[in-house]
Amino acid sequence: MNDQTNVKFRLNNSELWGGLIGLGLGGFVIWSGLKLKLGTINDPGSGYVLFYTGILMCVFAGSIIISAITEGGPTLASRWENVRWSKPLLIIACLTAFSFALEPLGFLLSSIPLMLLLLRLIDPVRWTLAIPIAVLVPLGMWWVLQRLLLIQLPSGLFGIG
Amino acid sequence: MDTLANVAHGFGVALTGINLLYCFIGVFIGTLVGVLPGIGPISAMSLLLPVTLSGTPESGIIMMAGIYYGSMYGGSTTSILVNIPGEAASVVTCIDGHQMAKQGRAGPALGISAFGSFIAGTFALVALMLVAPRLASIAIAFGPAEYFSLMVLGLVVLTFLTQGSMPKALLMACIGVVLGLIGLDSITAQPRLTFGRMELIDGIGLVPVVMGLFGVAEVLLNTEQAIKRDIINGKITQLLPNKADWQASAGPVTRGTLLGFLLGILPGGGAVVASFASYALEKRLSKTPERFGHGAIEGVAGPESANNAAAGGAFIPLMTLGIPPNVVMALLLGAFVIHGLQPGPLLIAQNPGLFWGIVASMYIGNVMLLILNLPMIGMWVQLLKLPYNILFPLIILFTILGVYCSSNNVFDVYVMIAFGIIGYLMRKLGYEPAPLVLAFVLGPMLENNLRKSLILSQGDLWTFVQRPISAACLTLALVLLIAPLLPTLRKKRELVALDEGA
Repeated sequence: MNDQTNVKFRLNNSELWGGLIGLGLGGFVIWSGLKLKLGTINDPGSGYVLFYTGILMCVFAGSIIISAITEGGPTLASRWENVRWSKPLLIIACLTAFSFALEPLGFLLSSIPLMLLLLRLIDPVRWTLAIPIAVLVPLGMWWVLQRLLLIQLPSGLFGIG
Repeated sequence: MDTLANVAHGFGVALTGINLLYCFIGVFIGTLVGVLPGIGPISAMSLLLPVTLSGTPESGIIMMAGIYYGSMYGGSTTSILVNIPGEAASVVTCIDGHQMAKQGRAGPALGISAFGSFIAGTFALVALMLVAPRLASIAIAFGPAEYFSLMVLGLVVLTFLTQGSMPKALLMACIGVVLGLIGLDSITAQPRLTFGRMELIDGIGLVPVVMGLFGVAEVLLNTEQAIKRDIINGKITQLLPNKADWQASAGPVTRGTLLGFLLGILPGGGAVVASFASYALEKRLSKTPERFGHGAIEGVAGPESANNAAAGGAFIPLMTLGIPPNVVMALLLGAFVIHGLQPGPLLIAQNPGLFWGIVASMYIGNVMLLILNLPMIGMWVQLLKLPYNILFPLIILFTILGVYCSSNNVFDVYVMIAFGIIGYLMRKLGYEPAPLVLAFVLGPMLENNLRKSLILSQGDLWTFVQRPISAACLTLALVLLIAPLLPTLRKKRELVALDEGA
C-alpha cells in the first residue's frame, strides 16, 4: 500500500467497500446454496458446500469491515493517486469495444484497430512502427492459426478471416 | 536398480526427436517469459495450453514443465541487469544481483545464478525421482478425508503466505471455491450458478480466469506507471565465477537447494517463498550481514538455487497426490486433464513412460538452460530493450488468441476480459489473485472429497480427526489460521508474505 490517507467511519474508506462487496457476494452464495438444497450431513446436496462457503465469506468480509471501521483504511481516490489511472481505463475501454466487435466483425477487422489503438493511445508508438505492427502481427497470427494449425477464428458478418 | 531402469526408460522417451524439440521450445519460451518483465510463467503456460493438444501427452507436459523451470532461470537475468524482476520468484535477486551488476560484476552474478540454478534443479530432480514413487505408494491408502484435509491445508498455507490481510486472502480463496463450483454438480448433475447460460454448464475455464487475473490485470497495472529501466549497458564479460565467488556461494547454494526443495513440496508454498526464505537465511547466517543489499554474491546464489529447487519439488504433490501446490502446478494439472490423464498415486504405476519421461526431460532441459543462459546472454539483453509500449499490445493479443484457441469459444474471451478488469480492481484494493486461482482449481475436488467422506462416514465429522494424516493437516491449518492473531507471529508472517503465490 503506497498511500497513507487513512480514514475511519467514513464511506470513502476503500477497505470498507471491499468488505461490503464481499459481504454482498457471501449473502448471494448463501442464498444460492439454500436454493439448490442443502441435503443432509449424511447425504449433502448440491448447495451444501456453497452454503457453508457463503457463510465463511460473510465471516471474512465481516472481519474486513470491522477492521476497516476500527483501524481505518485508505480512501478510494488515494488508491489511484500518483498513477496514470487514465491508461488502464483506456485499455479497458478498448477491450470492451473489442469484445463487442469480435463476433460481428471477425478476428482480423476487430484486432487490427485494437492493436492500433493500444499502440497509439497509451504510450504512443510512432505511426511508421505502429501501423506495420498493428497490421502484420494479427495477420501473421491469423495465418499461423487458420492455415497452419487449422484453428477457425471468428470471421464475422463480412466473412473476412 | 528399479529406479535406474526407470530413468533409462525415461531418457528413451525424452530423447526422441519430437520430445527434445518440445523440451527446447518449453525452456526457450520459459527463459523468454522469465526475461521479459510483465509476462510470467502463468500467462505463458495458459497461452500455450491449447498448443499441447496437438501432440502426445508426454510432449505437451514436457513443454509446459520446461516453461516453468525455464522462467526461473530467465527471471534472474532481468533482475540482475535491469533491477526489475522478470517473474515473482526473482524479486529477491534484484537486491544484490543488480548491485553486483552496477559494480561491474554482472558476469559472475549471472554465472552463479545459472550454475546455482543448474545444481539446485538437478538435485531437485534426483530427489523427485527418489521421493515421488515412494510417496505415491503411501498415497494409495489416502481416502477422501485425507485429500480434503490436504487441500484445506494447501489453501490455508497459500493464504497465510499471501501479502496483505489474511481475511482478504481467505475471502479470495472462498470466492475461488465458489467459481470452481459453477456448472453441473458432479454428483447430482444439477446446474449451479449458471444463470441460464449454456456456456456456463461446463463451468468457467481455467485459462480465461488465469489469463484475465494474471495476464490482462498485470498489463493494466503496468501501464499505470511508466516503467523506468536501469539497463546495464556495458559489455558482460567473465561469466564464470572465480574461486572466491565459488567459495562464498557453495554454502548458500547447498542451503538454498535443500530449503527450496522442502518448501516446494509443501502445499501452498513454491518458488517465491523459497527465494525469500533463502535470502533471509543467508543474511542471518552471514558474518557480514551488512554486505547484503550492496552486492553480496550469497544474496544471488541462495535465492536462485532455492527457487529452482522449489520448482522441482512442486512436482511431487502434483504427481503423487494429484494436488497442485501452487497456481503453476494447477495449470499443469489442467494440461494432464486435457490429455485425459489424472495425476495421483496411480500415475507412476499406470504411466511410467510419462512420469519418467518428464523427469528425464527435466535433466535435459536443465542442460539446455545452462547453454541458453550463459553463451546467449547477449541475445536476452537485446530483448530487454524491447519497449513496454510495444510489448503490452502483443501480450494482450496473444492472451486473446490463447483464450480463444483453448476452447474455440468467444464467450471465454469475454470471461477473460471481465476477469482482467476484476483482477485489476482486486489488486488495487489489496486482494491477491493467487488464493482465488488455487481455490478455483481445488474447489471441485474439495467439494467432491468432502461430500464423499460425509457419505462414507454417514455424516460423522469425527472422520476428519480420527484419521492421523487428516488430523495433522487440519491441526496445522488451524494453527496457521490462528497465528496471525498473535502479534509476534503476525510480524513473522508479514516478513515472508508474498506478492503472488505462484
